[in-house]
Amino acid sequence: MDLYREDVLDHYEHPRNQGELTGEGVESARDSNASCGDMVQFYLKIKKGRIEEVKWKGIGCAITTAAASKLSEYLRGRTLQEIRKMSEEDLLSKGIGFTVNPGRMKCLMLPVAVVRKVLDR
Amino acid sequence: MFDPKVLRRDFPILTREVKGKPLVYLDSAATSQKPREVLLAEKEYYEQHNANVHRGAHTLGDEATQLLAKARQTVARFVGVREGEVIFVRNTTEALNLVAYTWGLDNLKQGDTMVTTVMEHHSNLVPWQEVARRTGAKVEVVGVTSEGLLDLAEYQQKLTLAPKLVAFGHVSNALGTINPVKKMTKMAHKAGAVVVVDGAQAVPHMGVKVNQIGCDFYAFSGHKMLGPMGIGVLVGRREILDPMSPFLTGGGMINEVTRENSTWADLPDKFEAGTPNVAGAVGLASAIDYLERLGMEEVRGHDKQIVEYALQEFYKVRNLVILGPKDANYRSGSVSFEYQGVHAHDVATILDSEGVAVRSGHHCTMPLHKSMGITASVRASFNVYTTKEDIKKLVEALQKVKTVFGK
Repeated sequence: MDLYREDVLDHYEHPRNQGELTGEGVESARDSNASCGDMVQFYLKIKKGRIEEVKWKGIGCAITTAAASKLSEYLRGRTLQEIRKMSEEDLLSKGIGFTVNPGRMKCLMLPVAVVRKVLDR
Repeated sequence: MFDPKVLRRDFPILTREVKGKPLVYLDSAATSQKPREVLLAEKEYYEQHNANVHRGAHTLGDEATQLLAKARQTVARFVGVREGEVIFVRNTTEALNLVAYTWGLDNLKQGDTMVTTVMEHHSNLVPWQEVARRTGAKVEVVGVTSEGLLDLAEYQQKLTLAPKLVAFGHVSNALGTINPVKKMTKMAHKAGAVVVVDGAQAVPHMGVKVNQIGCDFYAFSGHKMLGPMGIGVLVGRREILDPMSPFLTGGGMINEVTRENSTWADLPDKFEAGTPNVAGAVGLASAIDYLERLGMEEVRGHDKQIVEYALQEFYKVRNLVILGPKDANYRSGSVSFEYQGVHAHDVATILDSEGVAVRSGHHCTMPLHKSMGITASVRASFNVYTTKEDIKKLVEALQKVKTVFGK
């Protein structure tokens, strides 16, 4: 599969839902891949067990950026219960929707790990 | 001078394809490819001579013991030291850890200083940090100049702290910089320090004579110099190795064992506990034979030519920022660069789709990358089989990065 297919590149060049959230009901977490300098922070605004709003910020390669962007779109409107039930594989296949070779898996997993961290709060 | 195009035929892996394209292997600083005769030497050892060494009075045991001894002679001659001063280990990392956990822990104490440099591979920094953590000693780190050379003025200044140990690389794996190791050793000795040199990126590319450098310890790996993985060498001066505590203890490294106590075998056995990697040592000796047939001066001549050509071609590519010295006389083995606006991992993945193998990331030199204000870079690295065509193909493949990212 061509990693840098059009929709992935589009999410890299025009990342969706970038920014920060503050205020009541906002949960946030960040993590980084020290080895490549990538950093991602997610903000979830949660109301009555539902993710009402999602923002994220960070620096990273095309893979990390596109993955965070796609995941942010997927999360909005879903319930915490639903997301918590999903395995990592589910989050990758449904939430991100593209995959990479094993050497780049860490790039793809960073946004997933951060979202997991928020939900564990 | 040998023709790398002809010599490539000796390396079976170089005929394979990656992603439907001929492999362009530019990651030799991570590990070199191996010529057929090295692979056959290991195979023949297992098929004809395999037995454990130093024990049993049977023919195969004798043959294996002799092969290990012969490999040690080959290594000793190659780097200009005595046989007893060659200790076989797994790799450079293990060699440096051996020094840290024996000499380091035995001799460093609270308030003592060790000096190393910011261009070190993590394996020549982290062990000293660990010694510092356990003993209360501290580690001072010498920086690099804007030209990518070691800051010798700062080095001189740090030596005034009277460090007990000074550790530096012969050739930087990320910048390609060749350090003036002989001069640096002399300076450190004058300050009263024991000198440890990481030669992992030097021994594959140039004639290294450890006795001429004059350092106390010198470490290198077989797998970066056309030999197999899992065999490396720590060279140590006999005078300093003799009184040192052993690193690992157990079989093969003892003289006499009673219920309560043990005495140690002579050098080098004292530092080679357990069954050694005889096949690896045989393979390494075969790699040295191969390099010596080419001639180490010729090997360095080719290395310099390729580095010079890579520098020249990379400078023509827009958006590339080249790391390290501009002059090939001060460089060996690799050229690293930053592709501005595109993450190093993305560059490497796109190059891979064109069959071009490079390293991306921090190359185990996080402090160095941080000091240069970047998180990751792309490294093209070379060995005797690298051709100018390989460099051309890399530059062509960089065009695809431009196409994909528009930068």
